[in-house]
Amino acid sequence: MKKGLIFIISAILLIGTLAGCSGEESVQAEKTKDGKVIVDFWSFWGSETRRPIIEKIIEDFNNSQDEILVKHTYLPWGDIWTKNLASVAAGNPADVIINDINSVAQRAENAQSEDLSKYIDESFKDQFYPHLWETVMYEDKPYAVPFNTDTRLLFYNKDAFKEAGLDPEKPPATWAELEEYAAKLDIKDGDRYERVGFYPLWGSIGAASWMTSADGGKGFIQDGELYINTPKKQEALQWLLGWKERLGEKTVQSFEAEFGSEQSNPFIAGKVAMWVDIGTFYTQIRDYGENMNFGVAPIPAYEKGSGNWSDGGGFVAEIPKGAKHPEEAMKFIKYLTGPEAQKYWAMKNYDNVANKEAAEAVVKELKGDDKYVYEASVKNLDQTQLFPVPVKYPDYQNRINPHIDNVLLGKTKPEKALAKAEKDVEKLKRK
Amino acid sequence: MKSYDTTIARRGADLAGKKVKTSRRRMSRQTRENIFGYLFISPWIIGFLGLTLGPLLFSLFASFTDYNITSRMNFIGLDNFKRMFTIDDLFKTSLWNTLYYVLFSVPLTTAGAIFLSVLLNQKVRGMKFFRTLYYLPAILSGVAVYFLWMQLLSPSTGLVNTFLAWVGIEGPAWLFDPEWTKPALLLMKMWSVGGGMLLYLASLQGVSASLYEAADLDGAGVMQKFFYITLPMISPIIFFDVLTSTIGSFQIFQEAYVMTENGSGGPGNSLLFYNLHMWNNAFEVFDMGYASAMAWLLFIVVMILTIINMKLGKKWVHYEGGDNK
Repeated sequence: MKKGLIFIISAILLIGTLAGCSGEESVQAEKTKDGKVIVDFWSFWGSETRRPIIEKIIEDFNNSQDEILVKHTYLPWGDIWTKNLASVAAGNPADVIINDINSVAQRAENAQSEDLSKYIDESFKDQFYPHLWETVMYEDKPYAVPFNTDTRLLFYNKDAFKEAGLDPEKPPATWAELEEYAAKLDIKDGDRYERVGFYPLWGSIGAASWMTSADGGKGFIQDGELYINTPKKQEALQWLLGWKERLGEKTVQSFEAEFGSEQSNPFIAGKVAMWVDIGTFYTQIRDYGENMNFGVAPIPAYEKGSGNWSDGGGFVAEIPKGAKHPEEAMKFIKYLTGPEAQKYWAMKNYDNVANKEAAEAVVKELKGDDKYVYEASVKNLDQTQLFPVPVKYPDYQNRINPHIDNVLLGKTKPEKALAKAEKDVEKLKRK
Repeated sequence: MKSYDTTIARRGADLAGKKVKTSRRRMSRQTRENIFGYLFISPWIIGFLGLTLGPLLFSLFASFTDYNITSRMNFIGLDNFKRMFTIDDLFKTSLWNTLYYVLFSVPLTTAGAIFLSVLLNQKVRGMKFFRTLYYLPAILSGVAVYFLWMQLLSPSTGLVNTFLAWVGIEGPAWLFDPEWTKPALLLMKMWSVGGGMLLYLASLQGVSASLYEAADLDGAGVMQKFFYITLPMISPIIFFDVLTSTIGSFQIFQEAYVMTENGSGGPGNSLLFYNLHMWNNAFEVFDMGYASAMAWLLFIVVMILTIINMKLGKKWVHYEGGDNK
C-alpha cells in the first residue's frame, strides 16, 4: 500500500512538472542574467553554407548594442511555417521569423503577423525595391520587411552560339528570335535530340510567366480583377504548345526526367543551349561547369518594345502575431535588412538582396563573372514582378495549373481551357 | 504477501477494538485493484482523451466553421460540405483518383501476396533464402524507396523502361504522363507485398495437412485443392488484409506528396489524392474548417465501406470451429 501511495504521488508530481514546463521556460527565456531582452529568431537557414553567414550577422548585431540578445533557432524548410502557425495559435510565437514574400497579405488578413507601421517611419521603405515593398503592404500597412529576392534571366551557351553561326554577343531579344535561334542550336541524330536549342518550360520558369509576358506584364489576377482568359494568354499557350510539338512529347519527357541533380543539369552538361533560371544558377555553372563560356540576358520580350518581363520571389522578416518583444524584434529586423547585413549576406551567398544600397555596393565590389551576372540580375530587378497570392483567391494557382497541363498534353484547346480555368477561379472567390 | 500481512494485522486491530479508518475498510480489495488498474493505464487514457478524442471532436466541430487556426471560427453550418459537391472541382478529381487507386491496389496486392506466399510455402531447398528475399522490400520503406522508384521509372534511363526495351516494348513516361501515373504507383505498391505475404505464409502453415491428404484420396487436383481447401482456410486472413489495406489505400498521401513536383499532385492533377488535397487545404491555404469537413467525409465513406466489407465477409470468410459470427 505504501508503495502504491508513493507511485500515485510521484505520478501526480510528474504530470504537474510536465504541465508546468512549457510556461516556465518561456518566462525564463525572456531575459538574460545581465538584463538583456532575448529575441527569439527563427530561420530555415541551417545549411553548411548559410548557417555561418546568418549567425555572423546575428553576432554582429548582438555585439553592436547591449539591450538585446538575438537567439537563432533553425527549423527545417516547410516545418518552420507550420510550427510558426501553431505557436501563433498557442500564443507563444517567436519574435522574428523568416517567411515567404508572396503570402504576407494572407497572413496579415488571418491575424498571423504584427502590423509594423508603428515601428517605422515613412522613409524606411525607400531602402527597398518598390516591387518588393508592395508585397508587404496590407490595407496600407506594412506587415513584414523584404529580406531577399530573385529574378529570372536567360543563360546561353556562347560556344554553342559560335558553333551554330550565331553572334555570341547578341542573345535573342524577342520570342521570334528565340524560336529562330533555338532551331539553329538544335542538334539531331536521326529522331533523337543530342542538343535542344531551347524549351520554354525548362529551368526556373513556367507557362504562367510566358503568358504574363505576352499580356504586357499582366498576371492572372491584378487589382482583384481576373485576366486569365485573355487573347494574348491564349496565344502564349498556343506558342508553348508549338514548342512541344516541335520537340515531341518523348524528347520533352525524357529530358525532364533527367533534371534535378546539379552535376547533370542539362544546360551545364551542354545538352540545352539556352536556359532560363534565377541569378544564383550562376554559382552552379561556376562550380560544376568547368570554365563554361556563357552569357546572360533578360528573358526575350513577346515582341519588340513590349518589355522584358521577369518574375521573382523571395523572403521577408516578420513579427508573428502575439510576439512578446515586438519593439526589440523590430530593432533586429532593421539591422537584418539594413545595408551592412544585407551586403554581407549578398557577398557570401551570391543572393539578390532587398536593400537597394547593399545590392549596388555588391555590384561594385564583385569581379569577373561574379560581377557580370550579379549586375545583370540587379538590373533585371527593375523589370521583375512578384505575384503575391491575392487574399480573395488563396488557392488560384492550383485551379489554373491543371487546365494548362491539359492544353500542353493536347487534351484541350487553349481557349476552352482558359475559359474553364477562369470560371474555376471565379467560383473560388472568397467573400 | 505484504498486503496480506497488513490485512491480518488490521483485522487484529479491529478485534482489539482500535479505531481504523472507515474509508479503508469500505474500499474492498476489488475496488482498490480497479483503481490501481486505472492508474496504471492512466497515461494512455490521458493521451487518448487529450491527443485523440479531444482533437477528433474539435475537428468535428471545426468542420462546421470557417476555422483558419488563427483568426476565424464562425459557424457556417453545412457550407463546407456543400462546397465540396458544388464548388470544389478538385474535390471530385481527388476522390476519383483515390477510388481508382483503392479499386486496383487492394485486389492486386492481395492476389500478389497470396500468390507469392503459396509459392514460398513449397518445400524446396533454399526456401528460407527466397522468403527473406521477397520480404526485404517490406522492411525498406518511406521516402528513400520513393526516390528509388523515381529513378527506376525514369522514362529514358530508368531500369523499368530499359528492361521493357529489351523485350521490344517502348515504355511509357510513367510519372510524367497523366495516363500512366497511377499505374506507376500501383507497380510500385506491388514491390512491397512482402508484408501481406508474411501473414499469408503464417496462415498457410496452419492449414492442416490432413485436409490435403483427404483431398488427395478423393482425387482432387492442385487447383481444386487451392480453391476448396487453401483459400477457405486462409479466408480470415484475407478478410483482415482486405479490410486493412482498403482503409490504408484510402489514406494514400506520401507517395504523391514526395513523387510529384512540389507535392502538387502530378501532371494534370492525376495524382491529386484525397488526402493530398485535404493537406493542401489545411496547410497551404490554412482552410482548416474545410479540411476538417473533408476528413470527416472520408471517415464516413471508409466506415460505410468497412461495414459493407464486414457484411459481405460473413458470406465468404470461413472460421475454423467458429459459428461464423
